[in-house]
Amino acid sequence: MTTPSAQEALVAAAYQALRDVWDPELGLDIVSMGLIYDVRADETGVVIDMTLTTPGCPVSQQLPMEAEETLRRALPEVLIQLNVVWDPPWSPERMSDDVLGALKFR
Amino acid sequence: MTRPFQPIVSMSGTANPTGVVPPPSVPLGFLAMAGVGLTGFGLAAWLAADHLVLSPFHRGVVSAVHMAVLAFLTVAVLGAIHQFGPVAGRTPIRSIAAARLTLAGIVLTAWLLPTGFAHGPRWLVPAAGLIGATTVTLAAWNLSAPLLTRDGGVPVAGLRISISYLLVTVAFGVVYALNREAGWFPLYPSRVLAHAHLGLLGWLGLAYVSVAEKLWPMFLLSHRPSARSGVISVASLGVGVAPLALGLLFSIPWMAWLGGGLVTIGLTAHVVSFVSSVRHRHRSLELLHCFLFTSMAFLVAALLLGGFAASFQVEPALRVRVVTAEVAALMAWLGLAVIGHAHKIVPFIAYTALRSQGVRDHPSGRPLLFSDLYRKAPAWLALLLAGVGFAALIVGILGESPTSIATAGVMVSTSGIVSTVNLALGPKLISNASQRRHGAHPLPGGAAAGTIRMEAG
Repeated sequence: MTTPSAQEALVAAAYQALRDVWDPELGLDIVSMGLIYDVRADETGVVIDMTLTTPGCPVSQQLPMEAEETLRRALPEVLIQLNVVWDPPWSPERMSDDVLGALKFR
Repeated sequence: MTRPFQPIVSMSGTANPTGVVPPPSVPLGFLAMAGVGLTGFGLAAWLAADHLVLSPFHRGVVSAVHMAVLAFLTVAVLGAIHQFGPVAGRTPIRSIAAARLTLAGIVLTAWLLPTGFAHGPRWLVPAAGLIGATTVTLAAWNLSAPLLTRDGGVPVAGLRISISYLLVTVAFGVVYALNREAGWFPLYPSRVLAHAHLGLLGWLGLAYVSVAEKLWPMFLLSHRPSARSGVISVASLGVGVAPLALGLLFSIPWMAWLGGGLVTIGLTAHVVSFVSSVRHRHRSLELLHCFLFTSMAFLVAALLLGGFAASFQVEPALRVRVVTAEVAALMAWLGLAVIGHAHKIVPFIAYTALRSQGVRDHPSGRPLLFSDLYRKAPAWLALLLAGVGFAALIVGILGESPTSIATAGVMVSTSGIVSTVNLALGPKLISNASQRRHGAHPLPGGAAAGTIRMEAG
């Protein structure tokens, strides 16, 4: 049975790993872009809710695969479940100041 | 409220992030051949320059127009729909083999038909037409699986109608080709124009307008308060092309005006949709956007030229030049858009393929980006050559200048070579660099079978 502190560590490790996943179009990490809605750990593993900037877009659908792949490499012993969700829809307000600056839109 | 999840997406390490798109070789094959088609069109325009100032109905000119519409634009748009349709409709095409056969058939048609027009023998034109009709029927059947889904929204609905117009356009073409032998009816200029507008607006224009409604918000990182202009553009264009073509075909002025009015509303709404996407964007402008601005300028020019030809009584020779320039401007609108979007779509497909081979990083060590998969300077050069080339073509037609048209042909042709080579070499260079870094065997690609659930969007 994992302790609450171990679960917190798992969540932090998952976030850290997801910062290495870049949107290949924009060259920005998906955490700063606000695409990760939730990361939670329980006794069975880590569950991630993520979204994409545009539903059904042919390009962004690559990202969930990359996120899942990266998490598996970073947390090889942990069961990963990644959900792509659309509610609430992503909006540019979710981007961090750093991202807005990088896009020249601060 | 959480919407239902779709079935688990396969993540078994293939170059197929959604489980629905065809192998990369299918869309990339179409797009590579479209690049060759663009080059061929430029050369055909160069060769036909002297004739184009005399008559747009000269066999060399007809050949060049078919190179543009079939070998370049139709091949490119069919390739894009084979990639985009399954994603937007969340359903794969019916058969990969049929997709490859479609590529072979349409390329064969696109090169045999102009050859038949320009050099003969006479039987080659109807023969190529029949190959083309069989090919597009096969394509329509194959694409019907993703395009008949009900939850694809405006883009899929628009593509559905545009494929119908493709079938009608090709059927028109076959009848015209057979008529060359049988002489059933006179081929008045207005009837040729009906065929041209069916193809350029009903098939190619509507397909692009529909897809743009999905691509622009993504590429511009744009969240518009309303997508109403996009809906109007797809609906008006979809409805308006039929009466426009029928009015021209049977010389029914009110019907042509009705169709022309609806088409004008649709294309104007398309421009408004683009402006709205640009206004609400959240990233700075870059290469694709410059292609799109140039493309839009040609669309506005086409609208002005078409409006002039329809509204003012001018001498017949001037009317022919203006209408020919309008057709050239429509080809420029779509051509610039296709070349620009190819600089997004090809790197994306190549990126997915490279990752499946384990190539994840740029030689500098940072994660691979789409923009790493082509060189910037040649891409800007392609924009310059195509933009100036198409402008010179229109000016040459209006000003009756064979030199301008010939120069335009060379520039457009060179643009085709530059963009095709640039987009083909970029992924190869990254792949080679990765092999040098990691030895003969790059990092293992893909992930284990797994646990990604995709909510219905």
